[in-house]
Amino acid sequence: MIDETKIMQYADGTLPIEEREEVQKAIEADPKLKELFNTFKETGDLLFKLSNEVKSKPLPQNLQEKAEILKSWNRPVIKDKDKSFNFFGLFKFQYAGVAAAFCLFFVGGFYTNTFMASLDDTSSGTVKLSKKIEVEPEKLKMRSIQKDDEDLQTRIANLYRYFDEDKFLSQISPLINDAEVNDVIETNLEDNIGKKINFTVVENFRSDGNECKKLDFSEPVKLSNIDEGTNISLDLCKVDENYELTSINLSK
Amino acid sequence: MKEKLDENFIKSLVNIALGIVRGKSDPYELVNGAVEYLISNKEKYMDHPNIKAIAVLKMKGLFIDNIRKNEKFSPMTDDEGKTIDVEDKKEDISEKISLSDECKKVLSTITKMGDKCQEILMLASEGMSMQEMQEVTGVKSVGTVLSRLSNCRKELKGLMGS
Repeated sequence: MIDETKIMQYADGTLPIEEREEVQKAIEADPKLKELFNTFKETGDLLFKLSNEVKSKPLPQNLQEKAEILKSWNRPVIKDKDKSFNFFGLFKFQYAGVAAAFCLFFVGGFYTNTFMASLDDTSSGTVKLSKKIEVEPEKLKMRSIQKDDEDLQTRIANLYRYFDEDKFLSQISPLINDAEVNDVIETNLEDNIGKKINFTVVENFRSDGNECKKLDFSEPVKLSNIDEGTNISLDLCKVDENYELTSINLSK
Repeated sequence: MKEKLDENFIKSLVNIALGIVRGKSDPYELVNGAVEYLISNKEKYMDHPNIKAIAVLKMKGLFIDNIRKNEKFSPMTDDEGKTIDVEDKKEDISEKISLSDECKKVLSTITKMGDKCQEILMLASEGMSMQEMQEVTGVKSVGTVLSRLSNCRKELKGLMGS
């Protein structure tokens, strides 16, 4: 004997696939079950219609205003535990280059593709900005950058040094469409000490009508000599069928 | 998937509220109270995976509070001191939302059914899963939700046909 709740689920399309055939055969064979099926089908349609019609009516003004407040919750939010950074939510990695240039200009007085770094208190060497630093960050001390306030700029500059946006997007693009929350995406990208970077999908959200995903670096990254570990998250939004990097968030 | 919070979310609450107020009051009032509660507890609920269930439970709580306070739902009297039948008020609700005749009839029939049926039918109309309905209604098992919904739909069909 088929349970009538199974008939209801079948009529609603919510019955597990493996049970459908049995229920379908039972309905075809028994007029009473067929009638029950029609009852559920009809009431399902009526309830659906009622719901749609109620939703088609405009909300009173006070609720429209509250809807606007709730909508703002859908927008990406900077998770700011200590100190965080975000370029106005309209971020392309190229802007980090500008930030890095400003940082180096103010520290060194002018911009070159190299800068001075001391490996210990007594000796110093020249490091090319465009290349990966060949020393462990723990030993690296940048000249004139001592204050905590300047550390954020340093971290941005160092992030820009090893993070290649184009390479990141080319590696992530084939995978991100199907990635769900908590999925880990493996890449060939390396951090500033040569360690492979993986990303974890932490959130799906919508921004300005576009589908977006928030990806976290799977581990905190050490971005300067005094950095104890920076959490980095990237917001990617689908524009014209392709995901683009829209913002980068750094937080301690 | 996280609930998208927008006008449609609030409209869903209005639809569910129709089953909670049982035709006795303005559903918008309950929705307003529940949304205000969510907004004032933003940090707690903004990432909640089932924020709709939270809102529905709040609406139920507000409705019960209103009954307890006996402010809105005490017997109403006319100028001559006669009690106004609550049935009169029921018709006002569907008029206020200006539904089609068919939907008016469905809503009117639902509001004549028992409290449990009113609630579960409106939750079902919102496409809530059995688990979500179990959470909101507080029944012991998903099986109970299924059998209650099935019985209520049969009853609805019977009343609509009569």
